[in-house]
Amino acid sequence: MSIVSQLATILLNGLQQGAIYVLVAIGLSIILGTLKFVNFAHGALYLIGTYLGLLITLTIRVSDGKLAEWGFGQVGLGWGFLPALIIVPIIVFGVGLLMERFVARPFYDRPDTDQILLTFGLAIVVQEAFKILFGGQSYNFARPARTSLGPLELQLSGPISLPVVGTIGIWRLYVIAITAVLVALVYLLIEYTDFGLVVRAGTRDAEMVRLLGVKITRPYLMVFGVGAALAGIAGVVGGTLYAVNPNIGMDVLVPSFLVVVIGGVGSIRGAVVGGILIGLTLSSLVAVAPQWSQVGIYVLAAIILLTRPQGLLGSEEVAP
Amino acid sequence: MANDGTGQTRRDVVKMTGAAGVAGIAGLTGCLSDGGGGGGGGNNGDYPALGNFPVQGDKVTFGFNVPQSGPYASEGKDELRAYKLAVKHLNNGGGWVDNWEDLSGDGILDKQVDYVTGDTGTDSDQARKQASRMISRDNVMMISGGSSSAVAIAVQGLCQQKKVMFMACLTHSNDTTGKDCERYGFREMFNAYMTGQALAPVVTKEYGKDLKFYQLYADYSWGKTQQASMKQFFEKEGWTQVNSVATPLGTKDYNSYLSEAANSGADALFLNHYGLDGANSLKGAIQAGLDQNMEIVMPLYNRPMAQAAGGAIEGIYGTVAWDSQIDNEPSNSFTKFFGQEYNGRVPSGPAQLAYAQTLQYAAAAERAGTFYPPEVIKQLEGHEYSNLGMEQETMRKCDHQAQRAVPVVKGLPKSEQKSGKYFEIVQITSRDKLGYECGQGPAAECDLGPYK
Repeated sequence: MSIVSQLATILLNGLQQGAIYVLVAIGLSIILGTLKFVNFAHGALYLIGTYLGLLITLTIRVSDGKLAEWGFGQVGLGWGFLPALIIVPIIVFGVGLLMERFVARPFYDRPDTDQILLTFGLAIVVQEAFKILFGGQSYNFARPARTSLGPLELQLSGPISLPVVGTIGIWRLYVIAITAVLVALVYLLIEYTDFGLVVRAGTRDAEMVRLLGVKITRPYLMVFGVGAALAGIAGVVGGTLYAVNPNIGMDVLVPSFLVVVIGGVGSIRGAVVGGILIGLTLSSLVAVAPQWSQVGIYVLAAIILLTRPQGLLGSEEVAP
Repeated sequence: MANDGTGQTRRDVVKMTGAAGVAGIAGLTGCLSDGGGGGGGGNNGDYPALGNFPVQGDKVTFGFNVPQSGPYASEGKDELRAYKLAVKHLNNGGGWVDNWEDLSGDGILDKQVDYVTGDTGTDSDQARKQASRMISRDNVMMISGGSSSAVAIAVQGLCQQKKVMFMACLTHSNDTTGKDCERYGFREMFNAYMTGQALAPVVTKEYGKDLKFYQLYADYSWGKTQQASMKQFFEKEGWTQVNSVATPLGTKDYNSYLSEAANSGADALFLNHYGLDGANSLKGAIQAGLDQNMEIVMPLYNRPMAQAAGGAIEGIYGTVAWDSQIDNEPSNSFTKFFGQEYNGRVPSGPAQLAYAQTLQYAAAAERAGTFYPPEVIKQLEGHEYSNLGMEQETMRKCDHQAQRAVPVVKGLPKSEQKSGKYFEIVQITSRDKLGYECGQGPAAECDLGPYK
């Protein structure tokens, strides 16, 4: 195998692995940057997204947990994957709005530790609720092999042969593509719309924005909702890659926080760079020194924190 | 989430352990001054106090230490169901208890059976902490559990120190009854060595004699011995190992590892992963299309894994602890009464092990006429039995490893999978074709500890 194709494989694997983290981290990052709210329950939104996606896409057999006890041995709509990809972010957006209004808002002016305790507790509550309902077992979130989108016939799973790289699971390319499109949309929303302008201004100096007569609570609500919706989509997309169980929310949270730390709080570009860096570090270390792959991402985060505490693309806090 | 639910600091735990130790010594002194008897400890007449013996009160307590979180949580949950069922049957009759002549169905040695549970979190430290709590606070006479060899070995070592019996449930590492064997530990499950012996002839017959293979393995005791045994037995059949790579326990995304395997030029890939890790790695391999150019082998798998991996297991060879399709009286009845208890659920291999090990201990105590551990151990050592649905078995005296048959299975396609039916049984390799002498293979490194 040539060096070029090996590098291309590492690149693709890294991009795909980073992609899920990017989707989760963008929400975390803009909520943290804009609202100064540390949301440890962000992984729970991912978890909700995954289970919703699973239930919309397939009909699953539940043999454990309360649902089975109550006689719901088979649950799910079985509508297919594309409806899930559209419906889930809308629902999770709503969940995000509720979370902002009833959980986050009363805590905006409280210290970080309070926010962490609150949201961490909430994350555990959500996780345990899923465990009670569906049992601790793992489900297989299988995508249909093909799907048709109007006249377009799409192959969703199975391998594909690419020049240079060789064989790769086609779904991994979709994951990268979906992430790229979503990131672009959010970037445009924040950088080029009036809404985005208010959000960015609020990030710099919320008090001044308020004094200028802008009602800032509404954009804040939207930011939270958008962040949540992204986590929901990440859940649908990421859920299909691995087995689904109640712990996946917590599992995705820690690397996503690392992405925020590496990229810089509040920066969408930072989250993208951070996610890709973590993905690439993981995939290249697996190729070179597998035993160091997990440690590697933390070493990377430590080096960046030591040399550039605000993250790669984060801006330094200006003291008020 | 891995937590022991106490929220205590290390200092608290140390203090508590100290207090428990003092209480234990006080209890011991009381017991000795009592002349070491009184009958209350399960016919402990002539036996001195040892570990948690004699049993206090009218109940004997077991500790079921299983993963209820972490990558092996699904297996742990099924084990727990079986443990609870075993206790129910021991106390009230039913299930295998009715057919085992050693067992009465009215407790063990006139004592009702009670149990406590713990969550190992698939983590050795947490498992030891839980076991320690069971021994010092709950006064358990026997601990059973596993679902990770690292956990089983850690708990087994602790049990030896504390002179409490350990009936290993799901642990497949060669080391459990090899270099880490203990006098107080017994294993019904076969090991990686026997998996190699059972699997290599079947797989090489199917795929040919001169393939090159690549191995991914879970980076702890089980995965390492599993990898070594696969290499040993497949190379013996003419295959050549290209490379083997360790993956951390709990890895989600195996794609990068799988890419390396796909590009290695190997003809076959061994996924030495278990539980959720196994489901994820196998699913990843199939999604990446590795099965188109390589033969994939999953040396040890089970029903919860198959369920999580879905159609990805089609045509994949492996071994299982036990399967409900094994057609003999004990197996059929186990499937039947487990299903009656749990809403039609089909039991997994780990569940069968959990149930069997609890009854094995109970029967040995009945035969010994006492809970005094050295006597119970002697009843188990060299015990011959055929009542677990795995043909004729011997619990070998030299290493406490059951000599038993190993089922070789092949995954069914998604369309043929049904609730509880995920494999086709290719053959049940009888124990005559498996195993190793005492002093050979893993047993060569086994040095059982003292009885007392």
